[in-house]
Amino acid sequence: MSVVGECLVAFVFGSVVGLLVQRSRFCNTAALRDAMLFKSFRNTKALLIAMMILSVGFTLFMTFGQGHPMEFDVGINSIIGLFLFGLGMVLAGACTVSTWVKAAEGNVGAAWALLFTFVGMFLFSLVWSVSYWPPAPASMTGQPNLEALQFGQANAATLQKNLGIPAVVFGTIQALILFAIYRAIRRKEDAQQLKHDATVAAHATAAPAGKSGRAAAE
Amino acid sequence: MDLFRKTLDPVIALAAIAVLDIFLFLLIGSWTVGGGETMMTGLIARGIMGDAIERIPFWNLVFVPDAGYWKIYISLGMFFGALVGAIASKEFYLRFPRRLSEWVMITIGGLLMGFGIRFAFVCNVSTFFGLTPEMNLGGYLAVIGILAGAWVGSLVYKKLLEG
Repeated sequence: MSVVGECLVAFVFGSVVGLLVQRSRFCNTAALRDAMLFKSFRNTKALLIAMMILSVGFTLFMTFGQGHPMEFDVGINSIIGLFLFGLGMVLAGACTVSTWVKAAEGNVGAAWALLFTFVGMFLFSLVWSVSYWPPAPASMTGQPNLEALQFGQANAATLQKNLGIPAVVFGTIQALILFAIYRAIRRKEDAQQLKHDATVAAHATAAPAGKSGRAAAE
Repeated sequence: MDLFRKTLDPVIALAAIAVLDIFLFLLIGSWTVGGGETMMTGLIARGIMGDAIERIPFWNLVFVPDAGYWKIYISLGMFFGALVGAIASKEFYLRFPRRLSEWVMITIGGLLMGFGIRFAFVCNVSTFFGLTPEMNLGGYLAVIGILAGAWVGSLVYKKLLEG
């Protein structure tokens, strides 16, 4: 595809995503933070559903050598980087997607977070220019490089190549594991609801008739 | 239209995004945000510093500023789509963080996000909507990192809320 074509496709995709995220108030930060802090799973469930669809979808096409999977070496830097990112997104109250979406809603705090994401990236470029770590894409080999704390590259396609089992089989197993997590969350929610209903019922019977009648009307 | 009056169920929104992401994966590559933002940083830095940017090896060896990089347009598209959604549903209005502590938290959070993205080569979007569904080893490492980071962040956040 031509450069202009790629940019156009990317813009259309981004626009639809931006609209859907704005209208649903989905937030990746909330998906993790709310589950940990408030035991609230509205966004977590949506994230899990998307990951199930993607696991089967991506690995199905990877089975036939289609699609454009990301290819670069990973290592300890993946854990450290996302640790810093996870800490940052909870403090900022927004991730990469929601900074753009909330900024478009007129949220100046989100625009400020975005500005400092750029500043953080620029600071990293200065640090990298001294440390040269993690390795630049050009010097990546796809093989483990333990000296540089790099594990090389492995994904559903390499699993298929090395084990002779179609990639989609692994993807389906992953989707089932994600589904098990989703089901556990649903059960937890049902239990929370039952507990909530029981508390409400207990309050209703404990309160005087007139008061509970008014509460019901409210 | 109903879409602009009621809040959309995030499960429906994310399922639709997942299907679109599969098409994008087939055409150019899965949904990602950090790469586009890095390229924008490079373009902005070049705009401000001019040729002085050549002296920072990162911008020669890792990211060479290029306005034709498709990932930039995903981010611009998200801003555009969200702006349309916010205006059509009359949800656009300027809001500012009130307390100084919020400004400080957002500033530190933004810096950590930008720094972390480049350290790992990925952001949260590529982690959950790209690498992990591709069953890339990096996706699992990144998920461990982001869960630990969000957990520590939640503890800090809770402390600040209560304090």
